Amino acid sequence: MRLLTHNFLQSNVRGTEKGYPLNIEVTTIKYEESPVDKEFLLNLLPKVNYNALVAAVKQMSPHCEQPLPELPETMDVSNAEQNQNLDDATISNLHKVLFDVYLVEGWLICPDTGRKFPVKECIPNMILHEDEI
Amino acid sequence: MSRPELTGHASLFYNEKEARKYDSSSRMVGIQREITERAIELLKLPSNRPSFILDVGCGSGLSGQVLEEHGHVWVGCDVSRDMLNMANERIERKREEAMGEGDSSEDDSDNDMNDNDSNNNDNKGGTTTEEEPSPGDLLHHDMGTGLPFRPASFDACISISALQWLCYSNTKEQIPKKRLTRFFSSLYQVLRRGARAVLQFYPESSEHAILISECAAKVGFAGGIVVDYPNSTKAKKHYLVLSFERSYKAPQGLTGLEGALLNEGRSSSGGVRVADKDPRRAAGKKSRGPPRKKKGGGKTKEWILHKKETQRKKGKDTRKDTKFTGRKRPMRF
Repeated sequence: MRLLTHNFLQSNVRGTEKGYPLNIEVTTIKYEESPVDKEFLLNLLPKVNYNALVAAVKQMSPHCEQPLPELPETMDVSNAEQNQNLDDATISNLHKVLFDVYLVEGWLICPDTGRKFPVKECIPNMILHEDEI
Repeated sequence: MSRPELTGHASLFYNEKEARKYDSSSRMVGIQREITERAIELLKLPSNRPSFILDVGCGSGLSGQVLEEHGHVWVGCDVSRDMLNMANERIERKREEAMGEGDSSEDDSDNDMNDNDSNNNDNKGGTTTEEEPSPGDLLHHDMGTGLPFRPASFDACISISALQWLCYSNTKEQIPKKRLTRFFSSLYQVLRRGARAVLQFYPESSEHAILISECAAKVGFAGGIVVDYPNSTKAKKHYLVLSFERSYKAPQGLTGLEGALLNEGRSSSGGVRVADKDPRRAAGKKSRGPPRKKKGGGKTKEWILHKKETQRKKGKDTRKDTKFTGRKRPMRF
């Protein structure tokens, strides 16, 4: 599961007030490079919740063999035009963090109820029990 | 043959054995690719720009692969863990090919985008290594319980041959109407405004099709069902096309009529199409799937050569290709 997907994942268990963003408990991480598509990233950025991304990176970082790129604490990515002015290094770092880091084994934890979703072989299991629907 | 949906839960039908059979059947792969291409066409995505797409019921990633070939980034979900494991295997195979380690020995080897500079027996023989786009993420999830994403996440949604599973209940608690409504209302939320969804499904009866459309309309979607080749039992396909625009009208389905309109390009305006035999070719895209048979039952030479190649890869004894392969035979009388 990449951080790009994690940025959009939410727990919809019945009775949860705010199931986003999910906290990450890491067991294994994988790192795989992919080509940077600058235009796609710029299109995507206004949708990305930057704070959630930074928090996720902080949770994944201690377990990575290669240190994850440093990202600024806050950044306003909601303005597509402003994003055009971002320098290439930032774009490259954002791409690395969103696309190239995979959580292979671990847990996703709902910040509200504490419900744990297991992640095995890069696939999170979001199947709800009967009483959670 | 009875419908798979009647045998039980989707994750029970698509167990490991069935999943493996499904993924390696070249016929299945071909059909799913065609359906996906048609669904992408119906989506009318902004051209030349990658979109963030949700693939519901992604299975072993056949449709996801087509999305990747079009340059989109996708997230897939499926209720069968075994199918998702096949998808993982497929991603691993592609990665090994890209690194030039493996032999491209699978049936669905229409990875034309993959040029290896490997020095083993690669029949592409390119000299540059094309970088692979990042594969789609997979989720193990039951779509009938909603979609686990925050609002306005996706630019589009596709679903290939999956939606009909919601029409059957496998436990006492599962009520089809409730699951369908839950799914559609969740879909409504996770798509961003202006997005579109195309869901290909196999309705058992018109009641099912009506039930599905009603649930979609109830949550606020506009759109309709596009039926391709309505007169053929085999080729008939239903696509539920959904949009947020109240004024949206679903386009006409394909009828497969041949004629003078064959060579005309697609109309780009309203999506109303009369006779467009091969949408891929008409759109000017490089034909990425295996060669087609002639409509009417004849076999083309390319189709024969491709089929022989497939058989060789399966390890079967196949005669060598010569200048006589697939030659035009004289008329019977």
